[in-house]
Amino acid sequence: MSLTRRDLLLNLGSGFGSLALAHLLGRNDLRAEPAAAGDLNGGLHHRARVKRVVQLFMNGGASPMDTFDYKPRLSELAGQKFDPGGDTKVESVTGSPGFKVLKSPFEFKQYGQSGRWVSSVFPHMARCVDDLAFLMSMSSKTNVHGPASYMQNTGFVLPGFPCMGAWIGYGLGNLTDNLPTFVVMPDAKGLPYNNQGNFSAAFLPVKHQGTIIRPHLADPIADLFPPKSASFITPDSERDGQTLLAAANRAHEARWSGDSRLEARIASYELAARMQLSAPEALDVSRETAQTQSMYGLDAAPTAGFGRNCLIARRMLERGVRFVQVWSGAAGPSGNWDNHANINTELPPIALATDQPCAALVQDLKARGMFEDTLIVWTTEFGRMPFSQGAAGRDHNAGTFVSWLAGAGIKGGVAHGQSDEWAWKSLQPTWCYDLHATILHLMGIDHTKLTYRFNGANRRLTDVHGEVIKEILA
Amino acid sequence: MSTRLVGQACAVAVMLTLVGARGATADMVDFNRDVRPLLAAHCFSCHGEKQQESGLRLDRRDDATRGGDNGVAIVPQKSGESPLVDRITSTDNDRRMPPKGDPLQPAAVELIRVWIDQGANWPAEGDATKPAGPEHWSLRPLVQPAVPATATAASRNPIDAFVAVNMAKHGLQSSPEADRRTLLRRVTLDLTGLAPTPEELDDFVADPSADAYERLVDRLLASPRYGERWARHWMDVIHFAETHGNDQDRPREHAWPYRDYLIRSFNDDKPYTRFVREQVAGDVLYPDDSQATVALGFLAAGPWDESSLMCIVDDTVDKKLAQVLDRDDMITNVMSTFTSTTVHCARCHNHKFDPISQADYYNLQAVFAGVDRADRLFDPDPAVHQQRRLLTRQKQSAAALTAEQLLGDARMQSEVAALEEEFRRAGSTWVPVVATTTSAGGATVALQPDGSQLFGGTLPDKDTYTFTFETELPAVTAVKLEVLSDSSLPHRGPGRQENGNLHLSEFKLLATPASGGEPVAVPLAGAFADFDQDGWGVAAAMDGKIETAWGIYPQVGKDHAATFVLREPLHLAPGTRLSVVLDQQHGRSHLIGRARLSLTASANPAAARPLPAHPGGPEPAAILARSAAERTIDERVALARALLEWNLEGQLAALPAQQAVYAACHEFRGNNNFRPAEKPRPVHVLRRGDINQPLAEATPGALSAVPGLAAKFDLPTSDDEGARRRAMAAWLTDPANVLVWRSIVNRVWHYHFDRGIVDSPNDLGHMGGTPSHPELLDWLAVEFRDSGGSLKALHRLIVTSATYRQSSAVDAASARIDGDNRQLWRMNSRRLDAECIRDAVLQASGKLDLAMGGPSVRQFNESKGIHVTPNIDYRGFDVDSPGNFRRSVYRFLFRTLPDPLMESLDCPDGSQLAPVRSASVTALQALSLLDNPFVVRQSEHTAARLNASASTTPERIRLLFRLVLLREPTVDESSQWSAYAERHGLANACRMLFNTNEFVFVN
Repeated sequence: MSLTRRDLLLNLGSGFGSLALAHLLGRNDLRAEPAAAGDLNGGLHHRARVKRVVQLFMNGGASPMDTFDYKPRLSELAGQKFDPGGDTKVESVTGSPGFKVLKSPFEFKQYGQSGRWVSSVFPHMARCVDDLAFLMSMSSKTNVHGPASYMQNTGFVLPGFPCMGAWIGYGLGNLTDNLPTFVVMPDAKGLPYNNQGNFSAAFLPVKHQGTIIRPHLADPIADLFPPKSASFITPDSERDGQTLLAAANRAHEARWSGDSRLEARIASYELAARMQLSAPEALDVSRETAQTQSMYGLDAAPTAGFGRNCLIARRMLERGVRFVQVWSGAAGPSGNWDNHANINTELPPIALATDQPCAALVQDLKARGMFEDTLIVWTTEFGRMPFSQGAAGRDHNAGTFVSWLAGAGIKGGVAHGQSDEWAWKSLQPTWCYDLHATILHLMGIDHTKLTYRFNGANRRLTDVHGEVIKEILA
Repeated sequence: MSTRLVGQACAVAVMLTLVGARGATADMVDFNRDVRPLLAAHCFSCHGEKQQESGLRLDRRDDATRGGDNGVAIVPQKSGESPLVDRITSTDNDRRMPPKGDPLQPAAVELIRVWIDQGANWPAEGDATKPAGPEHWSLRPLVQPAVPATATAASRNPIDAFVAVNMAKHGLQSSPEADRRTLLRRVTLDLTGLAPTPEELDDFVADPSADAYERLVDRLLASPRYGERWARHWMDVIHFAETHGNDQDRPREHAWPYRDYLIRSFNDDKPYTRFVREQVAGDVLYPDDSQATVALGFLAAGPWDESSLMCIVDDTVDKKLAQVLDRDDMITNVMSTFTSTTVHCARCHNHKFDPISQADYYNLQAVFAGVDRADRLFDPDPAVHQQRRLLTRQKQSAAALTAEQLLGDARMQSEVAALEEEFRRAGSTWVPVVATTTSAGGATVALQPDGSQLFGGTLPDKDTYTFTFETELPAVTAVKLEVLSDSSLPHRGPGRQENGNLHLSEFKLLATPASGGEPVAVPLAGAFADFDQDGWGVAAAMDGKIETAWGIYPQVGKDHAATFVLREPLHLAPGTRLSVVLDQQHGRSHLIGRARLSLTASANPAAARPLPAHPGGPEPAAILARSAAERTIDERVALARALLEWNLEGQLAALPAQQAVYAACHEFRGNNNFRPAEKPRPVHVLRRGDINQPLAEATPGALSAVPGLAAKFDLPTSDDEGARRRAMAAWLTDPANVLVWRSIVNRVWHYHFDRGIVDSPNDLGHMGGTPSHPELLDWLAVEFRDSGGSLKALHRLIVTSATYRQSSAVDAASARIDGDNRQLWRMNSRRLDAECIRDAVLQASGKLDLAMGGPSVRQFNESKGIHVTPNIDYRGFDVDSPGNFRRSVYRFLFRTLPDPLMESLDCPDGSQLAPVRSASVTALQALSLLDNPFVVRQSEHTAARLNASASTTPERIRLLFRLVLLREPTVDESSQWSAYAERHGLANACRMLFNTNEFVFVN
């Protein structure tokens, strides 16, 4: 059997030719095969509702009780020692002397048909609540940034596991030949906790790694083009060089016939050339109207950075990128969502930077019809404590936090799960496994069947857990 | 629709094609690996141990063969007649199995079909009713099989005889020997990781002797480059890197000595038994060899969760979980590396496939429950190491000398007298300081009659004292700080903390010239104290780190003294004002209660250090103040002892500074909430791996399923953590540990052939691969074990075999029988790994720097990050900095920010064990190899070298081909590449040649 050139282009890095049986015979690649018939709309195991995803990650632990999880009880108890009753031990990882209940300094109001409560830090998102499905009580295994970020991204608290974007690329492949399948835009201030560990393909083939794009730099994608200092490289030298290289590789392949890896490498250079053409265009937000740019907040300093990344995310999705992750906040104990010192002064600036762009993304995707097959996910790694750290800050809290989803397959205006009266612990915890299972489900993947054999175990994004959250599905 | 499922659809199509042509079958389906998991997933719930619907049971061979109420289910070799296949493929919903849920995927059905057609071979150990027992192949006793006598003409050694038997069975023919150029390139890259030079090619091709190849192999194995190559393989396996790898991805400044240990061990051909033992328990087994302590870098190689283990408070669930996971990483490293078992699968439940219980797993955790990862000190110079051990032993025995030995022996008496005189000379020069003293925290300061200052009143959390004074001494060489007991202090002090302790974070001496101006910090050389709290040594008071400090607990209620020696004498102009700043930032009122400062101008200030005090004994300083006649016997004994120790301390302090290695340790300086365990931490079996559900306490032990080896360690005392690791090392290196010997020969084989005899080098268990040549594996394992564990001998055996020396060309007939080349009818060709490519580029440009060892080269710009993790910039880095030309094994390995070029070429990042490297092909890899600044700049360097070495373009192209591809260009190539170089420059031609398949693949 001969493989077409297109097959090769689409299939770079995975086994084919004589390797295909070896792969099927179960070294690593344990993706269950698609059903023989029926239009799965791009799904792997069942019909997909979603073809592409944009994930907005609030790095540092966005406070639930100061944003979406209204807790009037905290105002009543303000200043008192936090006492959940019983013999429950109250722990706090970086220290909260006194455990004094801290009320939210922000005003809450109800919005939309659904009547969701939203605080004054998110005026734009508040107007979208009827499009959003809230997970009101996510829970994590750990109160520490590193492991918690790994958990939300990879399902494990340890380094070395593939993140959701890598799993999706592995499961579904690409939608375009011209751009990477999985793209990550870190905050312009720097990488999040765990640096690139959060975007890693880990033991999956390296082609599933998130490609990092830093739109604020002169060269947003590393090695996409030669360094500017290399003046001996010109468009002509590249054109002729590719021809020369292809000829050499063809001649070599003729001497070593039967090795599909050689053909794949030849194809990879053609793909690389396409990416050089397509990526700059996708990153060029000046091609958008002034009105669109303004909607994302590109015309105002506080929102310009995150807004541009959200707008680029939309352009990437339009052009066939399957998974885009946009980060708000770099690593570190401040300047992000990790509001240890003073919730009243630390939360509003980072909320302001993201609120309008997040809402713009929802509105823009709706307006362009992309809500039909695109999913937006807003997440963070954990929540914050109902009592104070120092005078007015909040320490980490794995007990409960909020995420939301919007777009294809999602029922807008609903909420799933509930935290206790203080937003301290979940009453019905939703785990990252459930969120990941739900996202995979929407993409036509049964999360229990998307596996990869590594070091003795058939690994999954959802480990041995995960329930699809049916209540939020349209 | 652009959405495609080509990956899957294509694979199925190929599968079907191969299966369609199964008259000459493509490969054997393995029941345990390929079929059993399918049956387990789809059939066992109704046809298994608990239920046998229609009397059919599919989890045991005999039952499955017998069939059920409706007759046989499987007809060997006849999938078309097997009811099992009929039922799983039926389109009739009432007949189709399984009755609920999705039907089996087409590929799964095909696997079952092929398996049946290949004879439905169901090995005995495939029974699912119990996990693989001792009958699993990897646990069977090691018996060396006889070498088959059926050697063919091509056979060169026993390896070939075993391979030939299998080939004959499959109707395969071996390939002819590769040509000399191919052989040279293959074996040189394989053994040394470097490409041969054109000159080496010319020599080898011209060498007419029959043993030219064997001599080449010997030369390569003797080359120091060999150790560099194989150390890098080892670093993959054990996930070595040089940062912590979590959110606080702090660089480990002292991880590199372990890398050098590896290189040295491979080059020295250290016997494998010793190599294993050193890495698990070198400190306890070989205390005379400091390198054996460096070997413990192995246990510390993996990631470490600094924020959970150091920054968060103790006694939290998060902290305990982090400790369990930290040990999980250690035992995974030990067991995967040495025994190729997947013990980590037994953390939450008994291993699902292998005979590894949860109890086994937690017993292994108990082995390492007394160690953490931290910097530990060693003496790189063996002579210094011996000297330090000798002096330390002498110091210990001085403490134990009896009154009889100290006072009854004339020689001892005169030695002690001489030491007293020496001490007096050194000590008499101390001049007390009269200072103005302030407390930043608002404490009261009261001058005492003895010149000391007593602190009282407000008790702040933290404080900083400043003593400002002038002196008439012409120079200062050291400052003595006495912290003194006082009845006003808790437990009589000398600290203000409620337990009488104090923590001096930093001691600083500042000098302000008489003319005014800014105070200047005076550099310090070292510090001595009469007593150091465990983990709170006095050196911490001058290390520039506010989080470390000097403490004296539990020796409270007594006077103590610390001497700070200046790096060089401070000569004082008249009017110079000095100040001593005592920064005490530990918190919880760990503050000094009473203090006195003195200065000395002695030329030998190190001798001016205080006499060591002994808990509970008389104070040496007080004894010394009285004349010899006034001293009691007890006091004379105490003084003699103190003087001997004082003398030995001085000698110890004069030894060259020690080097640190990041390694497993049970003693280290604590930091924040990260402290050594005083004794091994209790380990409990955790129900479902849940930290909140502890069950029985675990005791040190290893696997219970290795025949002939006791699972539980017989340890006299449970608190000796070193004994636990020593027992572990003995268990691992027992000749009866069949896993260890099979594991290592298979691992070495994997690196030579790009695939192991078992293709899962870290898993010899049930879910791992089955050996393609089981007899050969056992023969090699026994040969290796019984002939002294020489890795070089094993390499030599393998690479001089005819099997290794075959051509890698594909023979169409053989490919039809064994397309996957499991029977080794040819050599496997492979893509060069990241290090080989990078090093070969440096060789071609002539820039490669072969300097060995030392701190890793940071091939990136580093600046302070927002928090702990520094900012790492690969883009702005000057690729021409000299360190960039070192071999790739010496790169600094940053876990969460790996080098983009190396990463694109599949270099692992150290977050996970990497027993096998993939060789991916991606568009981003192509872009990296074309455009990464390293490649681009090296292309220019290569061009410069060619320009300097040849005068015409065709000559330069010829040299380029010889350097990069190790061959002459053809006539066509010469003209095409010359034309390109003429038009676009030689550097572009170099760059393109570095991107050819011929360069990045080795045949």
